[in-house]
Amino acid sequence: MSIVANENTRVVIMGGPAAVSAAKRMAEFSYLCGQEFQVTAFVFPPDAGKTAEVPFGSQFLAIPIYKTLEEVTTAHPETNTCLVYIAPNRAYKGCMEALDNDKIKFVSMITEGVPERDAKLLIKHSKKVGKLLNGPSSIGVVSAGKSRLGVIGGEYHNLKLSKLYRPGSFGVLTKSGGLSNEIMWLVSQFADGVTTTVGIGGDTYPCTDFVTYLEEFEKDPDTKSVIIVGEMGGDLEEKAAEWYAEKPRRIKLIAVVSGFCQESLPKGMKFGHAGAKEGKQGEGSARAKSDLLKKAGVIVPSTFGDLGETIKKTYEDLKATGQAAVVKDISPSDLPDLPLKIEEAVTAGDVQVQPLFKSTISDDRGDEPLYCGYPASELIQKGYDVPHVIGLLWNKKLLSNSEAEIVKRILMLAADHGPCVSGAFATIMAACAGIGMSQSVAAGLIMIGPRFGGAVTGAATHFRYGLQNYPNDVPGFLSYMKKNVGPVPGIGHRVKSLKNPDKRVEELKRSVKELGLRTPTLDYALSVEAVTTTKKDNLILNVDGCIACVLVDLGFPAESLNGFFVLARTIGMIGHWCDQKREDGKLIRMYNYLVNFAVSRRKEVPERQK
Amino acid sequence: MAKVLEGPGMEIFNKWGIRTPRHVVISTSEQIESLVQSNQWMRECKMVVKAHEALGSRMKLGLVKIDLDIDQAVLAAKEILGREVQGLVISQVIIAEMLSHDEEYYLAVTSNREGAEILMAKFGGIEVEDNWEKIARTFVEVGEKPTDSQLEKCAKDAGFTGELIEKMKKFASRLYECYDNEDGNYMEINPLIINPNDGKLCALDAVIILDGDAKFRHPDWNFSFASEFGRSYTEAEEQIMEIDSRVKGSVKLIEIPGGKVALLPAGGGASVFYSDAVIAMGGTIANYSEYSGDPPAWAVEALTDKVCSLPGITDIIVGGAIANFTDVKATFTGIISGFRKAKEQGKLDNVKIWVRRGGPNEAVGLESMRKLVDEGFDIHVYDRYTPLTDIAKFALKGEDN
Repeated sequence: MSIVANENTRVVIMGGPAAVSAAKRMAEFSYLCGQEFQVTAFVFPPDAGKTAEVPFGSQFLAIPIYKTLEEVTTAHPETNTCLVYIAPNRAYKGCMEALDNDKIKFVSMITEGVPERDAKLLIKHSKKVGKLLNGPSSIGVVSAGKSRLGVIGGEYHNLKLSKLYRPGSFGVLTKSGGLSNEIMWLVSQFADGVTTTVGIGGDTYPCTDFVTYLEEFEKDPDTKSVIIVGEMGGDLEEKAAEWYAEKPRRIKLIAVVSGFCQESLPKGMKFGHAGAKEGKQGEGSARAKSDLLKKAGVIVPSTFGDLGETIKKTYEDLKATGQAAVVKDISPSDLPDLPLKIEEAVTAGDVQVQPLFKSTISDDRGDEPLYCGYPASELIQKGYDVPHVIGLLWNKKLLSNSEAEIVKRILMLAADHGPCVSGAFATIMAACAGIGMSQSVAAGLIMIGPRFGGAVTGAATHFRYGLQNYPNDVPGFLSYMKKNVGPVPGIGHRVKSLKNPDKRVEELKRSVKELGLRTPTLDYALSVEAVTTTKKDNLILNVDGCIACVLVDLGFPAESLNGFFVLARTIGMIGHWCDQKREDGKLIRMYNYLVNFAVSRRKEVPERQK
Repeated sequence: MAKVLEGPGMEIFNKWGIRTPRHVVISTSEQIESLVQSNQWMRECKMVVKAHEALGSRMKLGLVKIDLDIDQAVLAAKEILGREVQGLVISQVIIAEMLSHDEEYYLAVTSNREGAEILMAKFGGIEVEDNWEKIARTFVEVGEKPTDSQLEKCAKDAGFTGELIEKMKKFASRLYECYDNEDGNYMEINPLIINPNDGKLCALDAVIILDGDAKFRHPDWNFSFASEFGRSYTEAEEQIMEIDSRVKGSVKLIEIPGGKVALLPAGGGASVFYSDAVIAMGGTIANYSEYSGDPPAWAVEALTDKVCSLPGITDIIVGGAIANFTDVKATFTGIISGFRKAKEQGKLDNVKIWVRRGGPNEAVGLESMRKLVDEGFDIHVYDRYTPLTDIAKFALKGEDN
């Protein structure tokens, strides 16, 4: 058996992320003990209606979150225990709600920093309704092999080491959370383990005192001995001594009290938990408590260090008198391990995972992103620029200074072409409809294709083809194009001509010459232009074609080239979006007179066939 | 718990209709001149000037001057302000109206598990300590108010007669109101006197301990809390308190001058057992500290720095039980970087470090401590298989198991 919590315990936890963390620890315990999970629900109004994910072995449970405790006990009437994981300013209200709920039989409160007045009112109310309220500041309760309320017991490894997967013969009561773990570990080493351990909390006024739990342990036939870890301050240890001395008790009581150091310290100096405070007349000192406990027949080791031996001796006595539980120990290999998380398993080299995809250009697993292996900050420190990053991420090459300069100039020349072109216009329409930046810019980008800005890749592909297959035969190339493709992409402009040349093209041609770059594709395209312009004045090498040739000559793969237009125009589109936003551009509606309504006249709709 | 100095304490009393002498709190003697303009009484009454600091036995230390006119009060304030007492520079004085009186009484409200006790005595001052058993007491359950008849009985039990009974009843019920509404833990008036000017009861002193945990519902608590142990906080203690107030979990430090063994343990429970163990072995502790509730590594590092800086220490005890959720590896990372810095600054020359710990990530955490040996630390590391406080024994013996 056990006290307070057992295999029938079903728990609701009040609170947010801390409550879910506690539930995860509780799930580990249930998994270790081969039980079903005991948490039925959470109460956390901000997330009401959602579920919280709790790993259970290799599964993930979805535990519902409710707004009120009432809803939980209606939907999950088996719920009988409530854990309070909420902030001190709301914990009082939460506890009162739990105490007033008929289904809830036991409440445990981890909240630290609960005002004393609130704790005292809770003590009064819990007595009135006849329920046990554990805490505040309680690490929780664990009944070995049966139930865990809160994070008491620590990590999975420790649950196993301290044999919390099966009951022993000892009960434990402590004010300190860390020491509850320590005592359970001692009991598992020097004796047969625990039945139930209760952290009652280190506040001045724990809502439930040692005596109340001692009464419970006295009624539990499986608990043969109880260990109390007390502290100076308050009178809970004195009351426990009184209780033990009152009449012969079945359980053997062991107690240690901390705070002897107080005797040799400056007066008034106060250590440890909130409740560890000596009274005005020296009452509540560690020595006074220890002396009273000894007098009451409690086994009191002289120091904490001797506790292990004391437990061992008590256990030997219990065995000798046939009182100790006959514990069939479970071999560690029969206990389940927690499934490894995939990251852990990969790190340990225990599994091989088929990757979803591979990436060859960047890596952000370290302290900063690497572009093709180069740290971004080092690129900056050594004076590299945006075009170098483009070169690395698009073509995995570190550009030379002249190449970078050309890329920069291409971006500058192609950044915008006024508000009327398809891309900018689409962005402006979206902006004026109140659409956000990324969607509006995306609307503009969608326009980029075979007729708008998308000729770069095509021009590059064909001029390169011409250079390779018709190197000294422009007419041959042109007849190939006419037969297989149609008009040459990159040649021709609606308004520009030989007499009215495109300034951007002139600038680019000048740039590559000035920087002394080798430009075989551009030269080839110009020789094509020399032929086409003899046929028609406006069949010139346009800006798309020029950009295409220059970039091919820089070694960029043809499929990346539309990217330069996409990237450059994004600058302009963002500008147009910001402009419309700033100017509060009104919703655009097409004018009827700009549409040729070449439609049927109005006519009657025939009846639908039955 | 949180102690409130006399000045803000009297403001709290006044808020609940508890009369106190007229008073001002100043931090420079020049302030007196401007205050005299708006405080007529400072020109007409005799005054008391007291150091306004968390110091015990102010009278003995010469930090209380009585029966002063305005010029003498200025001189007294000048004399007291800036004086260094027990390592503390006095930065404020309280100047109060001096009220002559024949009799002194005592009134207090003290908290207990079920509610509170109201204490009354027909004597005050130092007589209280010696006549503790003669004090009349009455219990008030939490959430209730004292009844008229119980206060009457208490006043009569304390020996009050005639119209004083009524006065004490009214005064006590106001003090209880104050205690109950202000989240008091302890409130004491000693002495309580009859003001000769108006014949009404008046609190000459205000000992107020509030529940610091209730601060969230008292936006008007605009004062800082004072130290409770007869000396003010040291700079290091204040820095750690400041960190403690803004991190998850807790870090705590109290310095104890002259101690040899420094403590850097985890947990409010285990830390006291470590203190006990050192003293039981005949050692002296240089501090009390504690970290718990999985505080961030940087907070633990700051605490480590303070602990390593304690003068004249021979050993540092990095103890701890088996943690529930405090990550041993993460908190040890903070301690280790604190140690490294301290070592560079020469603070750890001839200092032995003793470690014992368990809990989440204990293996990795302990291993990283063990590795400090390679960096020249005199460090001795134990795991959960060594009993909790044995490292205190090893430290005092100066040898390993």
